[in-house]
Amino acid sequence: MAPTPLLLRSAAATSTPLRLTTSTARRLLSTTPQPAASTGTSTNETKPKLKPLTPSQKAFLSSALRVNQAGELAATLIYTSQTPPLLRREPHLRPLMSHMYEQEAAHLLTFNTLLAKHRVRPTALYPLWSVLATGLGWGTAMMGKEAAMACTEAVETEIGGHYNGQIRTLLEMVGQWEAEGYDVGEEFRELISTLRRIRDEELEHLDHAVEHDAQKAQPHWLLTGVIRAGCKGAIWVSERV
Amino acid sequence: MPPNCAAVARLLLRPSTATATATSCPLRAIRAASTLVRPPTSASPQTTPRSLSQSHPRPYHSTTHPPPPSPFTPTESAILSASYAHVPTHGFTPSSLALGARAAGYLDISTSIFPEGAFSLIKWHLYTQRTALAGKKDSIAGFESMSLTERVEALTWERLMGNGEVVGRWQEALAIMAQPTYVFASVKELAELADEIWYLAGDVSVDPTWYTKRASLSAIYAASELFMTNDRSPDFSETWHFLRRRLAEAGEIGDATRSVREWLSFTASAGVNVLRSKGVPI
Ligand SMILES: [Fe+2]
Ligand SMILES: [Fe+2]
Repeated sequence: MAPTPLLLRSAAATSTPLRLTTSTARRLLSTTPQPAASTGTSTNETKPKLKPLTPSQKAFLSSALRVNQAGELAATLIYTSQTPPLLRREPHLRPLMSHMYEQEAAHLLTFNTLLAKHRVRPTALYPLWSVLATGLGWGTAMMGKEAAMACTEAVETEIGGHYNGQIRTLLEMVGQWEAEGYDVGEEFRELISTLRRIRDEELEHLDHAVEHDAQKAQPHWLLTGVIRAGCKGAIWVSERV
Repeated sequence: MPPNCAAVARLLLRPSTATATATSCPLRAIRAASTLVRPPTSASPQTTPRSLSQSHPRPYHSTTHPPPPSPFTPTESAILSASYAHVPTHGFTPSSLALGARAAGYLDISTSIFPEGAFSLIKWHLYTQRTALAGKKDSIAGFESMSLTERVEALTWERLMGNGEVVGRWQEALAIMAQPTYVFASVKELAELADEIWYLAGDVSVDPTWYTKRASLSAIYAASELFMTNDRSPDFSETWHFLRRRLAEAGEIGDATRSVREWLSFTASAGVNVLRSKGVPI
């Protein structure tokens, strides 16, 4: 069976620590090859042998999808509120901003669909995240292009690491199934490849932000530090509430 | 004689259960000397790990992997389904439970199987009725062509009719459900019913309306259920009108909150545009 070694190999690839100090490390992560899972799904004549999910696996999946939806909702709102003030000063950024916004909107749609399909409740703090994300987008855009890009840099750094953590947990989960002689199944193959694709797109946004002078924001360390701490807090809360 | 055996004997000796006692008492007396007798086919009841799933309401629902096992063990299911048949006459009571245990082949009923007593029987009713809705959905005429609201109405009505057989005993059940020990489990079950109805109706909203929809349907269902216990009209037609009125009112409230939200966002964006036209760089 082809999927087994491939899944294991990519497990090793994603366990590379997310280091963002050098652009090479970033490149390595953001260009992780797509897993063969999407192409290598053989149409199975026999019904796959799937293991029932344990309560703790269900709890993990439910909170993972919930926090991802909250994050993508925030991302679309950050770009929505950032774009008008930013483009007034830097009209040439229009294609970049609309490209990033469209990707975020697609991510949000993906998680909305997944939540409904798997009967996961949305975060109870939905209105709060909406207001905070809008405020963050507008606020950083008012501070200038560098601050807006530093905002993207900080957010995507956290989000990239966050998605990597989820992918790692999922790979451990399906690896365990395979070790016990169960099949992984389309549902989880697809989920893992979706998360990988979105993770890669987030890291592209990070690259774009750095290319557009994110690190020239003053004071860069304070701005990214505060935003990253905010993201960590929001993730922590969304996983629970 | 184990103490729980004595408890069953006491229950069976109540006047209301005299007929059952007449036939089963000698049998009990013979076997009571031995310890708890179980039917040979079923394994000893296991304690299922329920606490974790209970602390995570609405967990991930897999569309391909096998569903989680029933919250009731095979032994519990056997006794509870047999006991349920006695509810219309004996109510949600330990008497029904004891009669059911006998019918299922148990001479004694261990209190460790049902520490919650009569409430276990109520939970059985709530669980089996809720999970039966998915199957009933297919028998609702024209379900696929209904609007979302109509589907919610039809499913809620189906669930209310699930109380039909035990409606004479339902006020007693509600009184037990309202006890402090059981109120959390009862409210959780109500929330799961509301979630089930919206899910079966095909609702896919995953925004704040997810909460308002479930909260208002829970309230409407609970009110209709209570109304139904006093409804003497044929085929519960008054309950049907009651339900329709409550759902219509909730629809109006939903529209009102939506228009407030739309008005707020319109006003905000209009305000921003006015400021921008005055040269304010926002
Ligand atoms: Fe995204
Ligand atoms: Fe992003």
